[in-house]
Amino acid sequence: MNLRRHPVSAVLSALVIAFLWLPLVVVFIGSFDTNSLLTSWTGATGHWYNEALHDPNVRDGFETTLIIAVLSALLSLAVALTGALWWRRAHGRARALYDGLVYARIVVPEVVFASALFFLFLKIHFTLGLPTIVIGHAVLNSAYATLIIQARLVGLDPALEEAAADLGATPWRTFRRVTLITLMPAIIAAGLLAFTFSLDDVVTSYFLQGTSQSPLPIVLLGMIRFRITPEINAVGVFVMFLTVALMTLAVGVFSTAGRLGRSSRKSRIVSLYEG
Amino acid sequence: MSSDAAAITLVALRKTFGDLVAVSELDLEVQRGEFFSIIGPSGCGKTTTLRMVAGFEDPTAGKILVGGRDVTGVRPYHRSVNTVFQSYALFPHLDVWENIAFGLREARRPRAEIATRVGEAIKLVRLEGRERARPSQLSGGQQQRVALARAVVNRPDVLLLDEPLGALDLKLRAELQTQLKDLHRAVGITFCYVTHDQGEAFSMSDRVAVMNAGILEQVGRPEEVYRRPQTAFVADFVGASNRLRGRIVSAHGDGRYRTEIEGVGERSVSGAAGLTPGAEVTVVVRPEELELSTASTAPAVIAATVTDVAFLGSQRTVRLESKVVGNLVASTGGGTRAPELGSEVGVTFKDEHSWAVPV
Repeated sequence: MNLRRHPVSAVLSALVIAFLWLPLVVVFIGSFDTNSLLTSWTGATGHWYNEALHDPNVRDGFETTLIIAVLSALLSLAVALTGALWWRRAHGRARALYDGLVYARIVVPEVVFASALFFLFLKIHFTLGLPTIVIGHAVLNSAYATLIIQARLVGLDPALEEAAADLGATPWRTFRRVTLITLMPAIIAAGLLAFTFSLDDVVTSYFLQGTSQSPLPIVLLGMIRFRITPEINAVGVFVMFLTVALMTLAVGVFSTAGRLGRSSRKSRIVSLYEG
Repeated sequence: MSSDAAAITLVALRKTFGDLVAVSELDLEVQRGEFFSIIGPSGCGKTTTLRMVAGFEDPTAGKILVGGRDVTGVRPYHRSVNTVFQSYALFPHLDVWENIAFGLREARRPRAEIATRVGEAIKLVRLEGRERARPSQLSGGQQQRVALARAVVNRPDVLLLDEPLGALDLKLRAELQTQLKDLHRAVGITFCYVTHDQGEAFSMSDRVAVMNAGILEQVGRPEEVYRRPQTAFVADFVGASNRLRGRIVSAHGDGRYRTEIEGVGERSVSGAAGLTPGAEVTVVVRPEELELSTASTAPAVIAATVTDVAFLGSQRTVRLESKVVGNLVASTGGGTRAPELGSEVGVTFKDEHSWAVPV
């Protein structure tokens, strides 16, 4: 008997999927509810989106979030790329240590890192604020970025770089014309991932924000504590779609990377990088 | 560069990786315009030697001269040497045309010159119409030709080829061997070719060097290396040979030796230089030089039993077992009548077809 087709497993699967997705559906529906207390459905309206768009709290929060996300994604990439390039040539214990440090940042609970950074900044009298949030996000997200870039580096044949050198390219030219181009899909994917992770971070931001403007997730948290309105749902839906779009883009870029160069459209993109 | 300088000169070249000696005290000269091959089993140091000439590995000791200029320690991108890699190492993100243009672009040649030279190179390797194809869209043979064009388009002093046909099937290899030879004549660049396939090296090269365990065993024209190997290793490596045990009785002085061959008797045998009376030697006889006779009673004949006959088209390989000298292999023309399996035959060879090497 095929277990996968069994009615019980079908029901279980449906329940699991419902459990995962129903909250999002409820948020989505709630964002259109005319009833501001969300106690019952009283009709559909786009009013709350308008409300959210013009709420200075939300706007400032979103702006802060975007700045943090962009800066921390860039910092993550810088850390991940240089680290991964070093890792490629490293041997033995140093390499194992590096791997361990990368995985530790993924495995160790975020709250541990966040509080540790909090105490560190306190100790060295570094004022908490936007820069510390950026650093905090980069500490964690660079680990994911590193994994993505490493995966691509492993597939890079060292003979390609030797060939470039053999054909007269200096180390810098070789890096630009061969290494960086090969890594570009991974760099884009890693950047998008780090950006997305930064976008919805609460824990690290909460510990490290100090007295500066809170990023959006923390603004939302504050709003919920005060009162639950469809406006929050609207913001949630907006962030949800933004996140899904970015993740789709990241996955898309990375998975097509393997087929890089097959389509002429993509080759034009690549030649753009080459400048 | 001086015009009469050798294309490549290696002086006491040595390369070690930790305790492993990859190349040991290598002295070698490759003449200009020559098709030179380095052959040897895997791990013999041939690829390491090539990589040192290209500049990918720094020698532990010794000197490398290209065209008379000392390039020891010079980075690969400053050497007028180009390499055809075993894996081709074509840039996957560039099309055929851009792959071939890579070196010229790095050399900052004028646009018009690049266009002409790349066009010529494409014609040379017969890839017209495939300019815009990606390496992944090409067959193995085509990729190999792109790799060749990408290297020769730069008109280097020396072209290094690291088992460039290794990944191809037998029929394609034979085809590309001919093309390589033609290409060598057409461009007039010194080719330095590395392979473990002695047949391939022999069919294309002006001269070959045989390496074993980091040591250069012999350098010479293919026929010379094949007919007059200087060491037992070379004799064995360059072709299936029959090895008979013997001892030098006396030296004639002209490279010929009176040799007592076990199970055969005293024969006058040519051999490697410097063998002294009393020296233990291996007497080598090529399979194609062994003559089989069905009912011979002539002297100096080895009695043997046919244990296997393999038909290979143009020839037959006959395996024999002799009580006195052990196993033998003989090649006979495919057209002649094959000896019966299990039959008793007499095996002879002419003096001039035997060759003595030190054990």
